[in-house]
Amino acid sequence: MTMLFGFPDVGLVGVIAASHLIEELNMNEVAYIESELLPPLVVLHEGLPHSPIRIFANHDILLAISEVPIQTDLIYPIMDVLIEWAKSKDVKMMISLSGIPIQDRQDVQELKVFAAVSGLETMKALKDNGIEVLMEGYMVGPQAVMLRRAAQKNSPALILVAQCFANYPDPEAAAEVLKSLARITGVKIDVAELLEKGEEIRLRARDVMKRTQQEMTKMKKGQEFDIPMYVS
Amino acid sequence: MEVSIQRKRPFFERANEYFEDLEEWMEHFGRELSERPSWDLRLRAMEPLHEMRITSTEVLITVDLPSAEKSKIKITLIDDDTLEITAQMKRKVCLDEFGITHYKGEFHEFRYQTHIPVPVDMDKIKTQFKKGMLSVRLPRLHKR
Repeated sequence: MTMLFGFPDVGLVGVIAASHLIEELNMNEVAYIESELLPPLVVLHEGLPHSPIRIFANHDILLAISEVPIQTDLIYPIMDVLIEWAKSKDVKMMISLSGIPIQDRQDVQELKVFAAVSGLETMKALKDNGIEVLMEGYMVGPQAVMLRRAAQKNSPALILVAQCFANYPDPEAAAEVLKSLARITGVKIDVAELLEKGEEIRLRARDVMKRTQQEMTKMKKGQEFDIPMYVS
Repeated sequence: MEVSIQRKRPFFERANEYFEDLEEWMEHFGRELSERPSWDLRLRAMEPLHEMRITSTEVLITVDLPSAEKSKIKITLIDDDTLEITAQMKRKVCLDEFGITHYKGEFHEFRYQTHIPVPVDMDKIKTQFKKGMLSVRLPRLHKR
């Protein structure tokens, strides 16, 4: 069993990819997060109330998606509860879908996908799949907590990131991340409709993007551009 | 008349206070800006996502204009340091397309106004519209 995570982050890559997967793989809601730590908010869809953070599933994939950016101080409690839950469902691999911003993104034709991994075995598996591994740098956000926890428990996990706009919804980057996900998991994912609906998605995602920008500033997302100092 | 003696406060204490005030003001201002809707039914306009970067040589503004008509983008200087960008959409967008039925209305264009905080040479404006993304470059004017 594989568990995927798609949370609001740069270019909303993870959320756009996750929404597309739910449609494309006919996934159903199987669980949701309920906590007084969450903002006093409910999301209405087709007239019915939902938690902003939900889990969808089909036969062999679980997917956690959030429709609101996760507040910095809630990242640990939320990720810990999700990882614990994943363990109880016998999840063998956790994959977070996200992006990595690049300058002059609109001039770039082919977007590259990289992966940050939890351990050597995963690193080898990815390299065999032709996916470049992030060797040095910082990762900030819920996915960073996921990777740290996985590394501590020696369980396989990775963060897949596609080059993207930092502050604009990027359906093309979401499509790239999904293509790599398909390569790694062997699950067939058609991204044609996602690309076709690109403009519509960008139009619809403006407000979530704006709120995500504010939260990213608070969690010091910009640190991902920093060059780490080498400590052996 | 009231007379009092106050301890002279070290510079850093006053500076800290100043920055705290500034931070508070920024937070308040930021919140005010973010808490209005990103659309205006009266103007039938949506506010696009936008970014401004100021480097030592130029001011770069990018605006996300998905489904905007390239030939219907207008960039107007509305006063010395305020730029307005409007872009007509290829088709009208109704709120009910997003499933929203408790507000009624439709949008015909994107509209965005911004203050340019440093002096720039408006005559040397450069624009690019690619993949629904508008980039506006304005060279900075430096006093000699």
